Amino acid sequence: MNGLEHELRALAPLVEWPETPDVVPGIAIPATAPPPRRRPSRSLGLVFAVVLLALAVALAVPPARTAILDWLGIGSARIVHVDELPPLRPTVSLELLGERTTLADARRRAGFPVAPPPRGEPLPDEVRVVGGRRVSYLWRDGDRIRLLITQVPGLLQRTAILGKLIPPSVKIERLMIDGDGAVFLTGGPHAVYLLGPSGSFEEDDGWLAGSTLLVDRGGTTLRIEGSLDRERAVELARAMT
Amino acid sequence: MVGRPLDETTLVVRAKHGDAAAYEELVRMHQAIAFRVALVAAGDRGDAEEAVQDGFVKAYRALGRFRDGAPFRPWLLRIVANEARNKRRASGRRSGLALRAAAAASGDAAPSPEAAALSHERRDELLAALAALDSRDRDVLVHRFLLDLGEDETAAALGVRRGTVKSRTSRALDRLRVVVGEERP
Repeated sequence: MNGLEHELRALAPLVEWPETPDVVPGIAIPATAPPPRRRPSRSLGLVFAVVLLALAVALAVPPARTAILDWLGIGSARIVHVDELPPLRPTVSLELLGERTTLADARRRAGFPVAPPPRGEPLPDEVRVVGGRRVSYLWRDGDRIRLLITQVPGLLQRTAILGKLIPPSVKIERLMIDGDGAVFLTGGPHAVYLLGPSGSFEEDDGWLAGSTLLVDRGGTTLRIEGSLDRERAVELARAMT
Repeated sequence: MVGRPLDETTLVVRAKHGDAAAYEELVRMHQAIAFRVALVAAGDRGDAEEAVQDGFVKAYRALGRFRDGAPFRPWLLRIVANEARNKRRASGRRSGLALRAAAAASGDAAPSPEAAALSHERRDELLAALAALDSRDRDVLVHRFLLDLGEDETAAALGVRRGTVKSRTSRALDRLRVVVGEERP
């Protein structure tokens, strides 16, 4: 090793690096997550393939053509950064939210653990269920939906997969809520896609504006949408434990 | 986890079987070097932090494909550096990281005699010379000397072969000598 190399090595401890952030809280790996698999099972691989195919088809159709930039997994959701959003319809498709029913019936038919509506809040105006796939609580303001809370089963336990298409303008904040990984999305519209048990690909337009909190509840993903700031969304999530 | 700290191989095996606490321990072991590698690749602190987070998540999801007994750090650094480069490309930012010398050595340990012997002027001169290099030359020297990575780890982080690291390091040192005026171009 010559003099210059010695000098560079001597320089190493003198370099002023920015303080290393503790990234552990930002890494949403629930303690109950199934072990990573050496190879995806055939059924899981098929699910992934269908999701990717569905995304590819959706994104290939103008004006929904878009470039996938990045993936971020949270519970059963897949967040996909895109440079352009497909057009959105202005209202929630209630058909996608399923049949209107009672809370007890929804919990019975859900097929996965369902958190009750948030404590200390008015009861939802509607409870809707898609058996084995989704339970939704809706709070209405006339014809509009003021708040929507949806629970879907986790990726590895069920076949329902949620994908979110996010334009670069949307801000993504990663959070930990009482040990659960979460992301809070603000700053613009986003589209939601769902893969049904039959393999069909359904667009769930969700809200045109507002914010979304996704919480990984270890096998179930909680989605809270509405005109909410982060603190209010987190408060609602905490009231659903 | 209590008692004697587990070694890396054991932590990797446990993490592969779904032990989230073991993986968190791996994250804590490697987040500092991962962050610095990401910082060099991304050239931006915020992007580097995101790249490290995303890289650790991707590495966790890919653990099933990780070969038992293989060194974990180069594998991890490859994933994190890839994430960081992707973020830099997405931002349209050019590679470049401004490094500064601290007034004192980082950490609690006393500076080595070699570090103590390096004058403030010489430190600044070397860092300025590194900054003046082409990004490929600068990156290989930063990884090899300032981050103290081995050739395999540098190759993984830069996404090149080990032989390329060797030849690039040699050329980059030659160019650095020219910049600091120790050798004619």
